[in-house]
Amino acid sequence: MEIFFQQLVNGLTIGSIFALVALGYTMVYGVMKLINFAHGDLVALAAFVGLTLYEQVLGRSVSLFSVIVIFVLSSIIIAMVGVLLERIAYRPLRDAPRLSAVVSALGASMVIENGIMLLWGARMRFFPADLLPSLSWTVGGVVVSFVQLLIFVLSCLLMIALYFFIDKTKIGTAIRASSIDQDAARLMGINVGSIIIAIFVIGSALGAVGGLFIGFYYRGINFGMGWNYGLYAFVAAIIGGIGNIPGAMVGGLLLGLFKAFIAGYISSSWADAFTFILLIVILIVRPTGILGERVAEKV
Amino acid sequence: MKVLNRSGYVLFLLVILLAPLGLNSRWMAVGTTFLIFSVVALSQDIILGKGGMFQMGHALFFGLGAYMTAILNMSYHVPVLWTVPVAIIVPALFGIVLAGPIVHLRGDYLLVTTIGFNIVFVQTLQNNVFNLTGGPNGIFGLDSIHIFGYDLSSQTDIYYLSFIVLLVTFAVMHNLETSKAGRALHYLREDNLAAESIGINTRVYKIFAFGLGAGLAGLAGVLYAMQYSAVSPDAFNFLQSVLFFSIVIVGGSSIPGVLIGVAIMFVLPEVFRQFAEWRYFIFGFAMILAMILRPKGIWPAKFGKIPAYLTKE
Repeated sequence: MEIFFQQLVNGLTIGSIFALVALGYTMVYGVMKLINFAHGDLVALAAFVGLTLYEQVLGRSVSLFSVIVIFVLSSIIIAMVGVLLERIAYRPLRDAPRLSAVVSALGASMVIENGIMLLWGARMRFFPADLLPSLSWTVGGVVVSFVQLLIFVLSCLLMIALYFFIDKTKIGTAIRASSIDQDAARLMGINVGSIIIAIFVIGSALGAVGGLFIGFYYRGINFGMGWNYGLYAFVAAIIGGIGNIPGAMVGGLLLGLFKAFIAGYISSSWADAFTFILLIVILIVRPTGILGERVAEKV
Repeated sequence: MKVLNRSGYVLFLLVILLAPLGLNSRWMAVGTTFLIFSVVALSQDIILGKGGMFQMGHALFFGLGAYMTAILNMSYHVPVLWTVPVAIIVPALFGIVLAGPIVHLRGDYLLVTTIGFNIVFVQTLQNNVFNLTGGPNGIFGLDSIHIFGYDLSSQTDIYYLSFIVLLVTFAVMHNLETSKAGRALHYLREDNLAAESIGINTRVYKIFAFGLGAGLAGLAGVLYAMQYSAVSPDAFNFLQSVLFFSIVIVGGSSIPGVLIGVAIMFVLPEVFRQFAEWRYFIFGFAMILAMILRPKGIWPAKFGKIPAYLTKE
């Protein structure tokens, strides 16, 4: 039973990260019907930007102030990169065939991933261990560290905030309207162009927080990790029902738990295979995901 | 236009045929790689370009063919020539069986599912299932192929074998274009619902395209296994699938376009070896730029003899 609860804790931690990253995928897909393959690499970029901020700008000073600066500045920088990405790689292709945009997204992903490698080198870099207090508590044999608690609580807060933003505010309503029907939204006076910029800002910033969490939790970061987390987060978004914001949160947490239990009870060397088998089964049995609504394909 | 097109093919084939006279061993290896990957990319084109199915796991079928040859040759000592039918049929069957439950999925879902197949495949190889796949290092030390008492082991032999397979692929693509199946695929790609309503069994033809593309990729896998006399999981991972996918779309899913794409992706890096680190960085930009400037690909495919005024939007 100890393994069960320990993997529950680990799964919720990694699941929160998947959920944060999945939100970026699901929002972009909802409005643009495009898999933003470069999103995962923005997540990796965030970790590198955060580490560089700590080393170069903050002069390795350890304080609460440093942590806040890292989170806020990295998110802002990544949000700007996200907007730039949309401007360069996606906006010119809005009326092009679907697959052209997919290839452009793959190209953008290669550019960011290899750009990280050229700038920061190919070897693993490490987040400082002492930046966050290395506290941990043992409850009945289950170890919960401060970082895990922080990731879970902060992710939940961000997701709740996003949920209310999408559900209650005017911009949120416009985002929902654009994802249901772009043309109709335009007729209602919504500027879909700025809505797309807004989702790239929000999605990239949330992804950046996810990337920093990866840095603080696993400590080792490398240029290729974006693909991996991106793919998992995308799977999470589909499991929850792509285009559906609460779905991405639920999908992320469920996928994190699933992966942790596979690693705990079977073997971590099979985790990827089982995750994708789960995805394939879900897509065959319920193609709209857990919370997705059945939408008839347009004729 | 047609004369120009035909003479273009003749010229291309002549160049390929005569190239070994002027190439040293390193460039022969590069040329062979070009021929093998051309076959793979064209077989991907059957599924993605002709069939219009967003398939991003093609390295799976390529790798399955290569691993079939390697496992049968190394573990069961079957001569390489005898493994060829198996290396075609097994990937083709996999293509059919895997495609069965998923071909009806919407574009992007199909894409993610096929990515999933590829990842499951690579992880299975890495985990050395049944002690057959050799784990992360793969299998090495394959025999060469023997035909009619000749031992085809030199680089030139493999080059010409690959050339013959490329010719076979051209023939398959040409027949597909002018056959009932090719027309059916063309209609269902343009409009699935309309194709169904004029009585085309879209499901059967989609699965057929998967089987055909997978079988051809498997055959290319045999060539790959012979060229390197080794196979390893990394050669068939998801990045390879992404490259084949991009080649077909950037090329415009026509034969010349796909060949140009393969040349850019696999031959050009050999010319500019000192920029190896920059390879994917530059390719990424090139992919974005190509799609912005030519959203339908650098050499868009045309189908049949439909007059231009009918195909205009």
